[in-house]
Amino acid sequence: MKLRKLEVLSKEEIETITSSALRILETIGIKIDDEKTRKICEEKGAIIDEKSSFVKFPENITKDLLKLVPESFKLHGPDGSFNFEVNTKTTQFATIGTPVRIYDPLGKNKLKKSVLDDTIQQIRVVDSLKNVNCSHIDVWPSDVKFTAVHAHCLYQWAKNTKKPYGLGCLGKLPSQDMMNITSLIVGGEEELIKRPRLVGFMNPTSPLQLPKLMTNGLEVFAKYKQPTIVAPEALAGTTAPVTLAGLLAQTCAEIIGGIILAQVFSPISPVFFGTVSCATDMRSGNSALGAIESSLITIGIAQIARYYNIPSRGPGGVTESKCFDVQNGFERFSTMSLAAQAGINYITCAGTYESSLAEALELLVIDDELAGLVKRAMEGINVNEDTIAIDIIKKVATSEQKGTNFLGESHTRKYMHKELYIPKLIDRGRRSTWKKKGSKDIIERAREKVDQVLADYQPYELAKDIDTQLLTFIKEIEARPIELYMKAEGISGGSVNITGTEITLEKS
Amino acid sequence: MSINDKIKELVIEWETERLKEYCQSILNNNEATASSLLKIIGDIMKFVGKQFEEEEIFLPELIGSAETVKVTIDEVLDPAIRAAGEEKETMGKVVIGTVESDVHSIGKDLVGSFLFSNGFEVYNLGVEVTADQFISKAEEVGADIIGLSSLLTMSMDFQKQVIVELKKRGVRDKYKVIVGGSPTSEDWAEQIGADGWADDAIETITLVKKLLNIS
Repeated sequence: MKLRKLEVLSKEEIETITSSALRILETIGIKIDDEKTRKICEEKGAIIDEKSSFVKFPENITKDLLKLVPESFKLHGPDGSFNFEVNTKTTQFATIGTPVRIYDPLGKNKLKKSVLDDTIQQIRVVDSLKNVNCSHIDVWPSDVKFTAVHAHCLYQWAKNTKKPYGLGCLGKLPSQDMMNITSLIVGGEEELIKRPRLVGFMNPTSPLQLPKLMTNGLEVFAKYKQPTIVAPEALAGTTAPVTLAGLLAQTCAEIIGGIILAQVFSPISPVFFGTVSCATDMRSGNSALGAIESSLITIGIAQIARYYNIPSRGPGGVTESKCFDVQNGFERFSTMSLAAQAGINYITCAGTYESSLAEALELLVIDDELAGLVKRAMEGINVNEDTIAIDIIKKVATSEQKGTNFLGESHTRKYMHKELYIPKLIDRGRRSTWKKKGSKDIIERAREKVDQVLADYQPYELAKDIDTQLLTFIKEIEARPIELYMKAEGISGGSVNITGTEITLEKS
Repeated sequence: MSINDKIKELVIEWETERLKEYCQSILNNNEATASSLLKIIGDIMKFVGKQFEEEEIFLPELIGSAETVKVTIDEVLDPAIRAAGEEKETMGKVVIGTVESDVHSIGKDLVGSFLFSNGFEVYNLGVEVTADQFISKAEEVGADIIGLSSLLTMSMDFQKQVIVELKKRGVRDKYKVIVGGSPTSEDWAEQIGADGWADDAIETITLVKKLLNIS
């Protein structure tokens, strides 16, 4: 079996792009909004321009910091019973997106504003899936207080899944809340640090900026060794050069900037070399995640991440389509399949559409099946004496009984599930059977599966005292005034004492 | 492990030889009669058929299990029942095959396995079966049903030829003739004077039961 990874860059071109990225970091630098963070970088040898807030990293410092990045790490669910490794060789599928609306066949434009119940349902559906192994705050609950969304979501995560969870590391105070809440759930900070539960996502702003809220949150995630995805969403032609090579050089500088900052905060912090960069739709200025050029970017990033031996994250199953049409289907499959063939190690965005602004649980279960197809494709063709099966060919072909076939052969049974991926939602049967089952399309069949999962679902029990403590903490978080956040993040004057249960961050 | 569980395990694992040996040893030790073993196997095959219908198992598992038990029935249980002078209990006898000039086998194999799983005695004649072969076998075994499969528009006419030949030999009324295959239809069945048409394996069971007045 010889499966070549899909590549768009030669070895020399990877060298050219990465050396350009390092040159960008050394000569232009990256804008770090937070003053304290700039100072920490200066202590590590970076050169700071306080006027512009740009921080220049000499190449040798960048390279030394990159050496600290782990090649692999594990992610665990709340009770630790479910876990998987993220490394530079394998492929995992996950959700992630920013949907604020969810598919509703009866709603205006077949959408409705998502609420906490939808968030819970999404977590439950992911829990039931075979291939999608991690959910994140995908479905934004519009019915809970904005500043307490993270707390509500983590509480529901603990009660509704065995899989890990992801949240944006948007701010120091919310990130510390996340660590405190998760520590409570998993039995302490030590356990959380030893066996990470949360994926953080940290998005540099293109071009070349690490926003304050993001670096504030990254610091917390790094200290607790929770794997963080550093992934800019640069748009070719608007927030990055239209030339894909230029976009790759710029975004590599942004990704590397975020990754080395995590190491500055806390050495050997697990991170993903991430991308969600894409083409610009030149008619509207919108992002075009489903565009073929976006996949070229994803493939390039997969190659560059491998060059640095850092696990990669890229989007798959993404589309700009606003409905369940052919565009939705071909964009989600092409982006997922190309990302997987390129060797992206963590493929995200299952269940989303409309540039990941909308969610459909129907698409989520379909994406799980597509991930199954894609995984099968990546296994390639297994060639050996037993799989070539000359004896079986002889037996069937020379059988005295005319019309004998391979169906009843033990060889067929032995290899059937390995060689052929047998889908559940994709229809390949006879028209008459399809008609008998109600002539349903894949969305209707997916809906039935979602309904079944939700009807059968049994939430996990939390220990009573933990449950009470969590609810009390959520109330405290909800009661905080917005001004407190602004102070904590250094957006307005003043400071707030932010503490973990054991780890205390420096007071701002 | 009970006899029932042991047989089930051997059937599901396609242990053709071991199933034969096991059933033979049960008979030798007078632990059970051939008729009762046949009943156990029948129930297991019904269970396998149900699993297939509910999409829990797939074609190879259904056909493989059917082929596994067929060997034990033909070589161990049937001879034992005959030797004991007993009548074998069956839902009905079906002679099935793909008609002349057509080599498609999977559809009628599936129908055959499914009928077999549902308690019918099935004689699968294979592919490119001539009218004479169908009728001779039906006469030989005293069949209730003749099932004719055709997967080609070019071979459909041979379904009609079998019926013509049955009439010519004056034995048309002895058998219920059913037809199937993707180019065929209920209208076609009526047009050629067949007794019934079914769209798939599951429908075939309903059709055959109806034709034989089995409730």
